[in-house]
Amino acid sequence: MRIQFLLAWRYLWGRKQRMVLTTLAVVFGVTLLFGLNSMIPGMMESFRHSMVTTSGKVDISISSDSNNPFEQSVLSDLSEIDGISQYTGILTKNVVLPESLGGSINKLTGASSVTVTGVDFATAQNVRNYSLRDGRFLEAGDTYVTVIPQLLADKMELKTGDTFTIPSSEGVADLKVVGVLSLSASAGLDEIFVPLATAQSILNLPEKINTIDALIKSGSDRDEVVASILAKLGPNFKSGAIQTGDELASALMMGESMMWLFGIMALAMAGFIIFNTFRTVVAERRRDLGMLRAIGASKQTIMGLIMVESLIQGIIGTALGLLCGYLFSLALLAGVGSIFASMLRVTIGAPVITTANLIGSIILGVGFTVGSGYFPARSAMKVTPLEAMRPTLGTMEYRQNNKRAIWGLVLLALALFGLLFGEIKIAGLSGVVFLVGIILIAPVMVKPVADIFGKLISSIYPREGKLAQGNLTRQPSRAAITASSMMIGLAICIALMAMITSIEHGFVRYLDKSLGTDYLLMPPSLVLGGGNLGANQGLIEKIKATDGIEEATSLRLASSQIDGTALQLIGLDPLVYPKIAGLEFSEGISEKAFEAMTMGPAIIVNGVFAITSNVKTGDVLTLQSPQGEQEYTVVGIAFDYLNAKIATGYISQTNLANDFNSESDVLLLVNRTPDATAEEVTPALQAVIKEFPTFSLIDSSEFKTEQMGMFKMAMSVFYIMVVMLAVPGLIAMANTMSINVIERTREIGMLRAVGATQTQVKRMVFAESVLLSALGTTMGIMVGLFLSYLLVKAISVIGFSTEFYFPTMGIIASMVVGLVFGIIAAMVPARQAANTVIVEALQYE
Amino acid sequence: MATIEVKNLSKVYGSGETKVTALDSVNLIIEQGQFVAVMGPSGCGKSTLLHLIGGLDRPTGGSVFIEGSDISKMSDNTLTELRRRKMGFVFQFFNLIPVLDAIENTALPLILDGIKPDIARTKASEWLSRNKLDGRGNHRPDELSGGQQQRVAISRAMVSDPVIILADEPTGNLDSRSSDEIAVALRKIVTDWKRTVLMVTHDPRIAAYADRIIFLKDGKVVDDTLLNGSNGENAKRLKEKVESL
Ligand SMILES: Nc1ncnc2c1ncn2[C@@H]1O[C@H](COP(=O)(O)OP(=O)(O)OP(=O)(O)O)[C@@H](O)[C@H]1O
Ligand SMILES: [Mg+2]
Repeated sequence: MRIQFLLAWRYLWGRKQRMVLTTLAVVFGVTLLFGLNSMIPGMMESFRHSMVTTSGKVDISISSDSNNPFEQSVLSDLSEIDGISQYTGILTKNVVLPESLGGSINKLTGASSVTVTGVDFATAQNVRNYSLRDGRFLEAGDTYVTVIPQLLADKMELKTGDTFTIPSSEGVADLKVVGVLSLSASAGLDEIFVPLATAQSILNLPEKINTIDALIKSGSDRDEVVASILAKLGPNFKSGAIQTGDELASALMMGESMMWLFGIMALAMAGFIIFNTFRTVVAERRRDLGMLRAIGASKQTIMGLIMVESLIQGIIGTALGLLCGYLFSLALLAGVGSIFASMLRVTIGAPVITTANLIGSIILGVGFTVGSGYFPARSAMKVTPLEAMRPTLGTMEYRQNNKRAIWGLVLLALALFGLLFGEIKIAGLSGVVFLVGIILIAPVMVKPVADIFGKLISSIYPREGKLAQGNLTRQPSRAAITASSMMIGLAICIALMAMITSIEHGFVRYLDKSLGTDYLLMPPSLVLGGGNLGANQGLIEKIKATDGIEEATSLRLASSQIDGTALQLIGLDPLVYPKIAGLEFSEGISEKAFEAMTMGPAIIVNGVFAITSNVKTGDVLTLQSPQGEQEYTVVGIAFDYLNAKIATGYISQTNLANDFNSESDVLLLVNRTPDATAEEVTPALQAVIKEFPTFSLIDSSEFKTEQMGMFKMAMSVFYIMVVMLAVPGLIAMANTMSINVIERTREIGMLRAVGATQTQVKRMVFAESVLLSALGTTMGIMVGLFLSYLLVKAISVIGFSTEFYFPTMGIIASMVVGLVFGIIAAMVPARQAANTVIVEALQYE
Repeated sequence: MATIEVKNLSKVYGSGETKVTALDSVNLIIEQGQFVAVMGPSGCGKSTLLHLIGGLDRPTGGSVFIEGSDISKMSDNTLTELRRRKMGFVFQFFNLIPVLDAIENTALPLILDGIKPDIARTKASEWLSRNKLDGRGNHRPDELSGGQQQRVAISRAMVSDPVIILADEPTGNLDSRSSDEIAVALRKIVTDWKRTVLMVTHDPRIAAYADRIIFLKDGKVVDDTLLNGSNGENAKRLKEKVESL
């Protein structure tokens, strides 16, 4: 083993530049893999906060058995519990507002009251989202100040700076309003926030709290965490919070697997680069290897030599990658964090290193490197001792590429054929088949592509262009492998960009459709359900009776089960709803489906449900209802914006009332008459909903803008990743170009000896590099188009109906990136070639 | 028991129209401590003979016995071990590992055999100084002249105390002075160390250092002569012989 290490190390050291470039590829792959994944926990946690908190839920809420207040000091016990990411103590109590202080008797909700919530300003915001519309949140040093929800501010006609007087154990407390929470904040309707100490004195409960809210770390098991909290706190406590929906967890899991995918793709490209390098290494060293065999090195020794070389690079690359990955996630979190902080008021934590991520990254980093060295090592093993006796010939390719190309063509045809089925699994498979096909064809594409682009370059630099063209076509496989790694990078860029464009279009479309009305009357929680209190017929009738209102319709809610799987049911009016809003259909036709709903037990299900339960149009579902089992026929697969993520079925309100006893409206969609203006109608509607305080009136266009903003931001993170994925392509090209230059040192010296200028040599290298990238770009665009079609198809199948938009921008961007990469990749090798010392070059061996 | 015994050895390349008979039923016996030179026109099968004796290639007919054992029946691993322990090779193109220095290159067969590095290095230095390369041990091949590189190669061939040294045109890439140094070095291996040396060469002057000359033509042994005159006489005699054949 010693000999392998000695030789491996010396060979690597003897070709530093190449070692650096190859190792760099590994470093980059591991950086992405490790960095993204240590960023995820921090980021996911923040997303959890923002999603969990906006929906008004926390993961765990602890209170005492008897619901009585308990000592604030209990909190310190929680710091030792694993699996809790954030926690805060709260003292909250409902306080009835006497009429003298602005309270009113209301038929629906009874005596009006406010919930006084004392929060620890330092930790409260970690657990819940308090996004402000106006003013500030509680700060250190605050005493009799409060932050109140917008609805309450509107109702009580309060703004920042005003004083809000509430009853207190000391008589009354004059609270200065310092902030107004926006609609999306997770506050209760009439919940006002004061500093914890202030609440304790208002309620006369010094040093007491009555609730602990906590968020668990992503990946921890909630039940275990709850059990360990309860074990820690003792017997008098109970946990009583709603478990965060599974749909949320699965969305987060998706994100995590996406990140792994990114990292692995980057590593796969690194694998290509290493494979390419070692192939060259073996070709270059045939004579050395033959000699070693002749003087008594066994086949295993030779194989081991190459494997050890890749192992060393794998270890160095992975180690550096881990370090860079950590720094990368720090930097990215800092960058993304500031955007998030300003846009979403979410603070993002530090990178978290999990053992799984660490071990996974090491295994994949070293594994991919060693794996990529395996095939070249096998071919090194087959070098015969006799090869030592022959003089070295310049490495030229003798391999028959045509046979493979034919296989490649067969695969491409198969892949295209696979698309015809319209079946997602087959389509996914044909994506892989297509990729393999292109890689097989790549070597024979080298010549035609080099010819076409060579002509272009030759028209500018006639002599260098010709030489470059010749040089590139001399090693079709090497060119092809390099181009392949660039191709993968660019193809992914194009595909993802196409996907983003399509999603964006689709997003706008279904946002428009689902929220197409002028006003939304929203329940407190964005996600329907979750204990939202509905309104009876009174509300919609009053709204319809309001001047300037053309049409209003509502959504109602119930829940059901099919074979034990939960299904959220939304009741809509099949006559009105499609007229002013609508569902986005991925299967079935809108008119027919709504018509079917008016006639009998018909249901439209959303994509999430259709996929998970394998349901198609025409199937009959048996729904559990309070009245027993009910059979509904599936008449379409469609979804609305708010219910895309949870398994949902849409049925008519009549059926919902008959079968599921639900007649309250939880969300209303309202349109003005064409001639009415917002100025007239909005105050009138506000007056109506004053009596229905669970609802908030939202101007749809405002809401849409906000949602679009959030969407765009999520996508921008995506764009960063996309760009990062192109980088390994650059490394691959730089690597190949420097290999080419080193290998041809003798030739370049000869060219210089017979009179080529430095500039000419430089141009030759640049031209070759640009040709190489042209090849990669061409292939990348082909595969990218195919993949993007597949991706868009795949999303539609999941239920987000999207159309395929030709990724013009992606293609243009790829061409620019390709050209720029071609030039950057050649910079160092070109200088090296130009600086070749003629005499040394002619001695070079 | 002869060191090398070749029985009816044949090697045929290709088949049909492109069939080339490189060796045609060659029989030879070479005793220990003999310095044998193989001569003959280009393409007569000299290298082929050397490769088969060295176990670098397999014959199509006949067999090669090294110290009584038939190497044509050995597995690749046994053969590799035999090469490592019993044979030393000197190639026309020096074939040193460019990233290792002279001592490391010389010590390579020992290290491959699992000998401790410090012992291997000591032995390697000894052989380098026997070949007049003192002080060059830490130089890499590209810092050495062709003749020096070839002497490193001879040191490498000798370092594992082999029975046989096989050299294919060891002076083919060298000027006449360096060639003489190489020939002297090989002569010493036979005279002082009683090894068997089998050397292919075109150069009658170099062949004159040998004890015995085997002439090949069209894959057959056409002449087998023992030399016993002085170097100069031998060279003259050989030159005449080459011209006559
Ligand atoms: N791998 C091979 N495939 C086909 N024919 C071969 C092969 N190797 C050698 N030959 C043929 O075998 C014959 C003997 O070759 P060999 O290399 O032994 O000659 P040589 O005597 O060493 O010549 P030279 O003095 O030029 O080195 C030649 O005709 C050669 O063309
Ligand atoms: Mg020969």
